[in-house]
Amino acid sequence: MQARKTVQKEQKNSLVPPLIAAIASCVVPGLGQMLAIAVHRGIIILISLVSSIGLLIWRIYEAGKRYSDWKTIIQKAYYLNPFLYVITALIIIGYILNIVDAYQQAKPQRSKATGMIFVILLVFFFQGWEIGGIDMGSLFADADEAVPALTRVMWPWDKAISHPEEYRTTYVEVQSPCTEEPYPSGEVKEDEPYLIADPTCGDPSVVEKSLGTEFHLIGRNFIPGNTIEIWWKDPINNEFHHRVGGDYLIIKPDENGSFDVSVIMPYRTIPPVAGEGPKTWQIQARQLVSVGGAQASQELKLAVEKMIETIFIGMMATFFGIILAIPVSFIAARNLMSHSPLTLAIYYIVRTILNIIRAIEPLIWAIIAVIVVGLGPFAGILALTLHSLAALAKMYSEAIESIDPGPIEAVQATGANWFQVISYAVIPQIIPPFVSFTIYRWDINIRMSTVIGFVGGGGIGFLLAQWIRILDYKAAGIAVWFIAITVAVLDFASAEIRERFV
Amino acid sequence: MLQVRNLTKIYGDGTVALKNVSFEVPDGEFLVIIGLSGSGKSTLLRCINRLIDPTEGEIIWNGVDLCALKGEELRKVRRKIGMVFQNFNLVKRSSVFANVMSGRLGYAGTLASMFGKFDQSDLEMGRGVVERLGISDQMHKRADELSGGQQQRVGIARALMQEPEMILADEPVASLDPVLAHSILKTLEKLNQEDKITVLCSLHYLDLVQRYATSVIGLRLGEIVYQGSKTDIRKMTDEQFKDVYGAEAERIGASIEGGS
Ligand SMILES: Nc1ncnc2c1ncn2[C@@H]1O[C@H](COP(=O)(O)OP(=O)(O)O)[C@@H](O)[C@H]1O
Ligand SMILES: [Mg+2]
Repeated sequence: MQARKTVQKEQKNSLVPPLIAAIASCVVPGLGQMLAIAVHRGIIILISLVSSIGLLIWRIYEAGKRYSDWKTIIQKAYYLNPFLYVITALIIIGYILNIVDAYQQAKPQRSKATGMIFVILLVFFFQGWEIGGIDMGSLFADADEAVPALTRVMWPWDKAISHPEEYRTTYVEVQSPCTEEPYPSGEVKEDEPYLIADPTCGDPSVVEKSLGTEFHLIGRNFIPGNTIEIWWKDPINNEFHHRVGGDYLIIKPDENGSFDVSVIMPYRTIPPVAGEGPKTWQIQARQLVSVGGAQASQELKLAVEKMIETIFIGMMATFFGIILAIPVSFIAARNLMSHSPLTLAIYYIVRTILNIIRAIEPLIWAIIAVIVVGLGPFAGILALTLHSLAALAKMYSEAIESIDPGPIEAVQATGANWFQVISYAVIPQIIPPFVSFTIYRWDINIRMSTVIGFVGGGGIGFLLAQWIRILDYKAAGIAVWFIAITVAVLDFASAEIRERFV
Repeated sequence: MLQVRNLTKIYGDGTVALKNVSFEVPDGEFLVIIGLSGSGKSTLLRCINRLIDPTEGEIIWNGVDLCALKGEELRKVRRKIGMVFQNFNLVKRSSVFANVMSGRLGYAGTLASMFGKFDQSDLEMGRGVVERLGISDQMHKRADELSGGQQQRVGIARALMQEPEMILADEPVASLDPVLAHSILKTLEKLNQEDKITVLCSLHYLDLVQRYATSVIGLRLGEIVYQGSKTDIRKMTDEQFKDVYGAEAERIGASIEGGS
C-alpha cells in the first residue's frame, strides 16, 4: 500500500529544470519546490521562513525599540541580545538550504533529505528559547536564595506547633523619697523567682538636673535562658519599660536563673496633686514563660479547616455535577437522540454547549463565579460544578452510547416490563462506567479545588496564596503538605474504589 | 400449534427482510430454519415474539394472533416464549444467577424485582435450573467470566426460567466450536423431547441440521425456498442444501458427532 503511494509520487515530474527551481526558491522560498510538484514541502518552507523572519524582525524591534532610526535599532538589538545572531545565521542557512532543496526536488531522481526540515526546527527552537526568556543561568544563580525558602516549605512542622506563653512578673518595692526609717528590701524565696534591690529607697531622675538613684538588682530563681524585661510602676500605677540610652534593657539570666543588674530610677511623672511624702515604686522583672503543653498552631488549625473546606468544595461540586449530568447525558447520547431530526438537533446543540463549557478551564470559570457571587467557597463550587457537569455529561453519554443492545432485547423477550428492562439490562451496564467516571471526577475536583482558591474560590488555595504573598513559607509549607497528603490519599482511595466497582 | 401466515417485514429503510412467509409448526417440533446470512432468519424469529413488529401477516399461536397483541397481553405471551441468542446477550457484569433470574421477571412483581427480590419459590426454581444445566459452580461468577459454552447455558437457563412452551434460538451455536455446538444443541433437543418445548432454531451447518431437526424451512432473500420433514432432511443432498445456501454451504465435519 505504502510502496504504491511513493511510486505514484515519484511519477510526477518537476515542471521546471532544477536550475530554474533553485532560482525560483531564491526569489520566493518554497516556490521552486512548488514548481517541482513538491507542493506541501514548498508551502511548509515558505510559511516557516516567512514566519521566522517575521518573528526575528519583531524581536529586533522589541530589543531596540527605544531608538528611533532603524539602523540604531538593529545595532542595539544585536548588541543587547547576541542570541539574535544565532537566529539570523540559522535563517540564512535555512534560506540557502531552501535553494539547494529546490534544486534537488526538481531533479528527476529526487533525494529526500536535505536537512531543510532540521534547520527549520532549529530556527524555531532557538526563537522559542529567546522569546521564552529561557535563562539557565538564573536557574542556578538564584538557587542560593531559594534554598532557605524551599527548606521552610519542605519542613514547616515547627510552625505547626505553638507553645502558649505569658509574662510572669516578679517585683520588688522601693521607696521614694527616702525617710528616716529604712525601707525593707525584697524577700528571699525558696522556689519562686525573687528580686532584691539595694538600696531600698532613692530619688527619681529630674529632667536636665540630676540622675536618679542607681539601684542594684539581684534576681534569682528565674528560668534560665528566657529573656527578662525590667519595668517600673510608679505610685499611681503608671508602667514604663526601662530603657538604657534609648533601648529597652534586656536581661538574660544565667544557667541558674540568676542575674545582677544596675538600673537608674527614671523620671518622675507623678502630677503634683498626688502629694508629697514617701511613696512606693515597684521595680518589675517580667519574664516570658511557657504555660501548658504544646498546641496546634493557628496556621495548622487554619490549614486543617481550609483543607476540609476544600474537600467539601470538591465533593459538593461533584455531587451537583452528577445530579445535573445524569439527565443531560441522556439528551447528549446519540443512540437515544437519533430517531428524529428534532431530537438530533437537540443532541448537537447540547453536545456543542457541553464542549464549550468543558473547553474553558475551571480557573476561568472560578474568576467568573467570583465576579458573580463574590469571594469564597461558593464561587469555587459553582465553577467546579459547571466544569464537572460538562465533563461528566460527556462521559456518561458516551457510556450510554456504548451500551450493548443485546441484553435489553433479551430481557424484553422474557416478558419483562419497561422498569424491569431498565433495572436489569440498562443500569447494570452503565453503573460501572458511571461510578468510574464519577470517582475520577471527584479526584480531579479535589485537586482543582486546591487551586481554585488562588483566584478567590475558597478552600486551601486561598490560604496558600495569601501565605505565599506575605512570604510566610512555613505556613505555605503546611498548606502544601496538606494538599499533597490529601491528593495522595484520594488517589489511592479512588483507585481502590474503582477497582472494586469496575 | 404455531401458524405463520403471509408474514412480511419491511424495515424503515425499505429493506424487505421477509416476503409473504407462511408455515406451520406443530407443538413439540424441532424446527430448524436455514438460510444465508441476511436471508431473514433473525427477523422471522423476532417477529414471533414481537421484538420486531411485522409489517403484514398473522402469527397465530394457540389460537391467538400475536401480531395484534399489545402491552400487558404481549408480555404475558412473551413469558411463554424463551429466546436464545447467538451472542448470548447476557448482562456481562451481572452475576450468572442474576442473569438466570432475569428470565423470571415476567412473573415477578415490578418493584420487588427491581430491587433484586424474588419469591422463595422462584429462587428455588432458579437453583434447580442452574443445577440442571450444569452451571451451579459458576452461579456467583460474573457472566463474562464464563466460557462461551457456559454463557450459552446461562442463556438457556434464563429462557427456562420462563417455563416456556416454545424456545426461539437464533443461531445459538454460531459463536461456539463444534464440540460445544453439539453439547448446546443436545441440551435444546433434551428440552424439546423431555419438556415438550417446541423449538425454532436457525442453524448453519447441514450435518447439525440433519442431526437435530424434525423439520426444516429454508429462507432465501426473505422467502421460503425449502420446506422438509425429518425424512426429507435425511435425504437432503449437498446440492439441495447448496440451493438454499449457495456456495457457502459446508458441513461441520462428521467426526465431532460423538462429542458431548
Ligand atoms: N434493523 C434493521 N434495519 C434495516 N434493515 C435490517 C435491520 N435488521 C436486519 N435488516 C436487513 O434485513 C435482512 C434480513 O436480516 P436478518 O433477519 O438479520 O437475516 P439473518 O438473520 O438471516 O442473517 C438483511 O438484509 C438485513 O440487512
Ligand atoms: Mg441473524
